[in-house]
Amino acid sequence: MSQSPMEPIVLMKDIVKDFPGVRAVDGGFFDLMPGEAHALIGENGAGKSTLMKILYGVYQPDSGVITVKGETFPHQSPGEAISRGIGMVHQEFMLVQQLTVLENVILGFEPRVGMGKIDFKAAEERISAIMDGYGLKVDLRKKVNDISVGEAQRVEIVKALYRGADVLILDEPTAVLTPQEAEGLFQVIRSLTSLGKSVIFISHKLNEVMEVASRVTVMRQGRHIGTVEKSATSIPELARLMVGRDVFLGVQRSGSAKAGDVALEVRDIYVPSSTEHSKIRGVSFQVRRSEILGIAGVDGNGQSELAEAIAGLRPVERGQVIIDGVQVQNLTPLQVRQAGLAHIPEDRNTRGLNRTMTVKENLAGLAFRKPPISKGLAIVGGALKEFAERLISAFDVRPPLADAPVTGFSGGNAQKIVVAREVDSNPKVLLACQPTRGVDIGSIENIRKELVKVRDRGTAIVLISADLEEILSLSDRIAVMYEGRITGIIDADEADEERLGLLMTGGAVNG
Amino acid sequence: MNGLLTAALALGIGAAAIALMGQSPVEAYVELLKGAFVGKFNLGGTLEKFVPLLLTALAFAVASKASVFNVGVEGELYLGAMAAAWVALSVKSVPAPIHLILCFGAAVLAGGLWAAIPGALKAHYGVNEVCVTILANYVAIFFTSYLVNYPLSSGLGAPQTTPVPDHLMLSRIMPPSMANSGLFIALAILVGTYWVVHKSTLGYRLRAVGENRHYAEHVGIDAKATMIWAMVASGAFGGIAGAIQVLGVFGCFVDNFSPGLAFDGMLASLIARNDIRLIPILSFFLAALKAGALGMERFTGVPKALVDTVIALFILLASMEGLFKFKMGSRPARRG
Repeated sequence: MSQSPMEPIVLMKDIVKDFPGVRAVDGGFFDLMPGEAHALIGENGAGKSTLMKILYGVYQPDSGVITVKGETFPHQSPGEAISRGIGMVHQEFMLVQQLTVLENVILGFEPRVGMGKIDFKAAEERISAIMDGYGLKVDLRKKVNDISVGEAQRVEIVKALYRGADVLILDEPTAVLTPQEAEGLFQVIRSLTSLGKSVIFISHKLNEVMEVASRVTVMRQGRHIGTVEKSATSIPELARLMVGRDVFLGVQRSGSAKAGDVALEVRDIYVPSSTEHSKIRGVSFQVRRSEILGIAGVDGNGQSELAEAIAGLRPVERGQVIIDGVQVQNLTPLQVRQAGLAHIPEDRNTRGLNRTMTVKENLAGLAFRKPPISKGLAIVGGALKEFAERLISAFDVRPPLADAPVTGFSGGNAQKIVVAREVDSNPKVLLACQPTRGVDIGSIENIRKELVKVRDRGTAIVLISADLEEILSLSDRIAVMYEGRITGIIDADEADEERLGLLMTGGAVNG
Repeated sequence: MNGLLTAALALGIGAAAIALMGQSPVEAYVELLKGAFVGKFNLGGTLEKFVPLLLTALAFAVASKASVFNVGVEGELYLGAMAAAWVALSVKSVPAPIHLILCFGAAVLAGGLWAAIPGALKAHYGVNEVCVTILANYVAIFFTSYLVNYPLSSGLGAPQTTPVPDHLMLSRIMPPSMANSGLFIALAILVGTYWVVHKSTLGYRLRAVGENRHYAEHVGIDAKATMIWAMVASGAFGGIAGAIQVLGVFGCFVDNFSPGLAFDGMLASLIARNDIRLIPILSFFLAALKAGALGMERFTGVPKALVDTVIALFILLASMEGLFKFKMGSRPARRG
């Protein structure tokens, strides 16, 4: 274990990792010094988590080398990573709810006495020593069921340390914490590094990064963009590195139509998430006819909850949603649709489509209520087929089989079915959520053209997307969400990487 | 196709069991077939058993389409039977056709409302409907048992109501067996159910909710209401089955009259994977096995419980989805 302090404890070079259809990491580079807190930042899909899962052995890289404590190898298993002193705290905690904190920590690494009996006393002493040393207090006898999220995270850290970790990877650790808990975590990170442990801190919140990290590595689209000393950088520079200028250069703006009257107004709404009250706090905006309002932001900052609240799929605590002069907050999804909304949901597999039904049945999900598809209670087979075939050819769904089950369709063509159904309902307001996520390039172009066409026909569109390029190329105005609020609304012409980057990372709050 | 193979395999294992008992499997199955189909009395017996099996299987299937598992059809059957018997006995001086409609209306109402309770609990509060319906069965059965033993007792030794008026009895279609015109009611409900589930907007809602509740809500279908209405329909079918037992078979409400009819119906629906087109075939198959079992026991030494074993095997094998697929698919896979 004797090594010069200037040798990196971890060095990853030229890492490449392909997933079907995407290169998640391309020429990945990362170096970690003993005793430092090193932040790894980037947008959604920048490859941060993938790179760290390669280091922890969850994924095997397609090429590249990893050096840990002077030992170089092409890849490793999670078992090897643990024995080399690498520990990882995932976003989803890996704890057994029904076991106590003590049992969770020693699970798989139990100290034994005699005939395979677990030596709880020795375990407790060792764990208490770790907890005292780093200021990680958790009641060892409580069940994981009964402890808070912040405590569960500490248990994960203790577990990694108990297994002998010198390098701790924390994957977006503050995403699940309250601000007070986050402050506690930063204390822990400081005491860890002061005692010689190294910490990798994955995040996209720049103010936190500036608070705890000594160095920062920025990734974008799977590539290593740069590694900078904290003392030599600033939040605006990091935001610029993270978002990148090339996104702005490549964009072909769709050209705007003349915006008309207000079609959708959201007035100071508060919306709960599935786990917390008021995940969205006081969001307001207006969208006019023939206008696309893009809502940008890193995933998980309340965009999904906002969309569901507008669509009537999630309760609104207070505030108003007004479609064409009619208040629709807390109405049923059907009533909201009758007021003029169409909704392309972010998850086409659970909400957007009924996978066991046929293409024509999915296309008719809205139109089945009215003639000519239904007469009284009866569904008219001929009219249904005709309707489906019209949409299939208008939206270029391939293969053009109205009677086939949707299950076999590719992401792009399945999404075209959703878009066709929603656009055909001739809405006043179209809420398009991640409309091209997981969709092939041909279909992306198709769907984007369709959105522009719908706007030019006079529909107001709210476009929620984590794909900045999509937001920039389609939107007339851009609103940015961060932690359940809108941090700013700017004209698309005025958007540049620094402003958007700052708004997306909450940096503007400080600046 | 797989169903046929499964049935053959179950009967084959049954044959092996018969051979182990020292009996001739061929002789036993011949007697089983004779007992189910040969002669008006035997064929009629099969049809008589077919009616409640078909209706309760449909009852289970309809609720399952909305992914609500109604294990409470037995209770709904009892309540429907009791309601029909009560209306038949207590309503006076109405023309027979209207009186008959009232009897069935009461059965529909009793079964439907009773089933609406677990449906509403499931839809609005997420209460597990399997638990609720299983428990509700006891309540319903003991409640009818109380009624038939005390307030509605005929006063004779047996725990049953006084016989319903003759003019209300469904006509016997194959005397001397007890097969009755309830068969046509059941077949009409079968056709109607198929149409509603597969050709109507109601069926579209039902399937959308059952197959993907999130999708249903997204396109504006009221999933909760749909689940409750599916349960109401399910309970109503159970109630009608009960009414037919009273007005077509027994002529009065008899305490504990059903030997788990609705559970056999549920099995038929489960084997058919709730496919409305297959349900009549499987219901008929189970009815024939049950009816033929008596003949088999009477003329050979094989106990009729063997048939229950065969049915249990059938279900077990039918639930092994990959049983025959695996056999057929494994060879090319191994080559590659």
